[in-house]
Amino acid sequence: MRIGVRACQSKDVRGLRFLGASVVLALLAASPLPAQSPAREKQFNIDSFETVWTTIRDKHWDKNPGGLDWLATHAEFRPKIEAAATIDETRAVIREMLSRLHQTHFAIVASDIYDNVAAEGGEAWPGFEVRVLEGAVLVSSLSPETPGVNPGWEVLSVDGIDLRELVRKLHQNPGIQEAAIQRAVLVQMRGPTGKRRRFEFRTSAEESAPPVIREIALLPPRGNATTFGNLPTQYVWFESRKIGNTGYVAFNEFLDLVRVMGQFGSAVQSCGKCDGLIIDLRGNPGGIGGMAMGMAGWLVDRQNLRLGTMYMRGATLNFVINPRADAYLGPVAILVDGASASTSEIFAGGLKDIGRARVFGTRTAAAALPSVFMRLPNGDGFQYAIANYISQGGKALEGIGVTPDEEVKLSREGLLAGHDAVLDAAFEWIRQQRGK
Amino acid sequence: MNLSRWSIIPVVTALAAGLSAQNAKPQPLPKADSILDRYVQVTGGKGAYEKHKNQVLTGTIEFPAMGLKGKVTRYTAPPDKEYSIIELDAIGNIESGIYLGAAWEKSVLLGPRIKNPDERDQSIREARFNAPVDWKKVYPKVETLGTKDLDGDECYEVLLTPPNGKPVHQFFSKKTGLLVRTTMVAASQMGEVDVEVNVSEYKTFGGVRVPTVSRQRAGNQELRITVDDVRVNENLPDSRFEPPPDVSAMIRKAKASEEGRLP
Repeated sequence: MRIGVRACQSKDVRGLRFLGASVVLALLAASPLPAQSPAREKQFNIDSFETVWTTIRDKHWDKNPGGLDWLATHAEFRPKIEAAATIDETRAVIREMLSRLHQTHFAIVASDIYDNVAAEGGEAWPGFEVRVLEGAVLVSSLSPETPGVNPGWEVLSVDGIDLRELVRKLHQNPGIQEAAIQRAVLVQMRGPTGKRRRFEFRTSAEESAPPVIREIALLPPRGNATTFGNLPTQYVWFESRKIGNTGYVAFNEFLDLVRVMGQFGSAVQSCGKCDGLIIDLRGNPGGIGGMAMGMAGWLVDRQNLRLGTMYMRGATLNFVINPRADAYLGPVAILVDGASASTSEIFAGGLKDIGRARVFGTRTAAAALPSVFMRLPNGDGFQYAIANYISQGGKALEGIGVTPDEEVKLSREGLLAGHDAVLDAAFEWIRQQRGK
Repeated sequence: MNLSRWSIIPVVTALAAGLSAQNAKPQPLPKADSILDRYVQVTGGKGAYEKHKNQVLTGTIEFPAMGLKGKVTRYTAPPDKEYSIIELDAIGNIESGIYLGAAWEKSVLLGPRIKNPDERDQSIREARFNAPVDWKKVYPKVETLGTKDLDGDECYEVLLTPPNGKPVHQFFSKKTGLLVRTTMVAASQMGEVDVEVNVSEYKTFGGVRVPTVSRQRAGNQELRITVDDVRVNENLPDSRFEPPPDVSAMIRKAKASEEGRLP
């Protein structure tokens, strides 16, 4: 199967340990803070620490967050925050406290990261998507507007930054998962629209093959700019098409709710007589959890089905699927990889658990705690999980992820030959279902 | 609300009651009927309520933690007609109402649906027009449980039990007679949720005082509704309460199915 155009609107993760995904692997929707006096800035930082600590005390689903004595944690870290002289030191102290939870979706997002990227208009992309496979950064799909690059080529460097070395260093930290590595790589390739970046490629699997240099002007961000509450502007794209008599749907985030839900519904409705439907969530870091329920409603005709259950303080909420009148009831294949996280995992894991979809690809990011995003007094962003989530099969997705029904990996040889092995496997399964 | 956090409250209340009993005779609690009737009186009186034939409430709804804000409009008429719409740019419109005895909801996210029986009973109770006056029809059993200090305001706690569904706790200020807080276990499609609603800033519309600020906590999420205006006795045709066509079709189909006939 030929490879379609896909792109991942990755997030800047410099200095962050964003192992999770959700909506909030993101930058701040913040305006730059006015300059503050040192004393005032220090108070903002202390207030920010208190906000983080109090929020977790009051909102974490467990009265002893992460099994910790949270009061004792405050007593330990409060002197450290008072001793912190700069905002960077403040962030380091708060992040250290958050790391004690050993849970994803707890993160501090530095306001200056957003400001820097915003100033550059840093979401422009080179017109091709990459995947990190066995330590190498490979081109996995292309925009028609990107001349002179082919799937399967390895990106050796961008503007002199050695990507193999970057990936090698990231892999040395076992706490950094595939989704974060993927994003860290993508950040190197982005920038303002029109900026020319110097890419160095290896065009074959042969290590001895001479590198090829391409100067590529970055294309405008793919998709529509959208915001959601405290989140910064995100670029969300949605793609649907028919490949033969099979529907294919892909989107980069569960965001831009009104537009994406509408497009998803239209795609399903136009596919009433399709042999199958493929939903490609590779590289999708998640977003609004409820969209998983809403989309699942287009794929079932029975009442009272659930994707899973969310456990929060004061409520145990079932992710109930509300069947749509024109639901598609044929074979559904969902494609995932290590960068599929959060809502992607809730959607894929839940539909797999109720036997409604067959999942192809590699294990997901295992980062599926429902979370929200707030602003701190010092201008930083704070993402915090508010609930634990158990998929309908009875397993937590956090730390485990979704294991595909069919484990299929992309290969460099396949990409070079213009094939997507994961997509091919899904098509083959749908073909077999047609015969049943 | 985490029950384990709140389970200490009755204990503390009991201790406090024991201490005060040494110094003063406990005052007998007023009957729940009189507390509820006093609420009607202090908010305008039965006559003022009964002059209302319909109501159009407009305001804003805000989810502070998420930074979401939108508009809310609610049309109500006797006995329990309702059509509400919440307009949030980021989420799209969420419509809900009561039609032919069915409670319904439609959103961009989940599409149209008919609410389950627990949700329906709750929705119909909440849609009851002039419910403060007709409380006996909504809650056949009421009793005063005790008193409680809510942020310095000594309140009577009244337990209201409907014919179907979970009871509701309401707290009325001893001083003003006004409703201050409601707590309940609310039914939802996703399951039961502990809800606390704190109301304040009463203003008079059409001769009846209405709380214009409502801070609600459902689970550990918070929202705030601010009422901008309440218009009464508007020219509202019955069609104002009709749901969107796809919802109407669902309701008619369900009714036909219940009655054993083809839709």
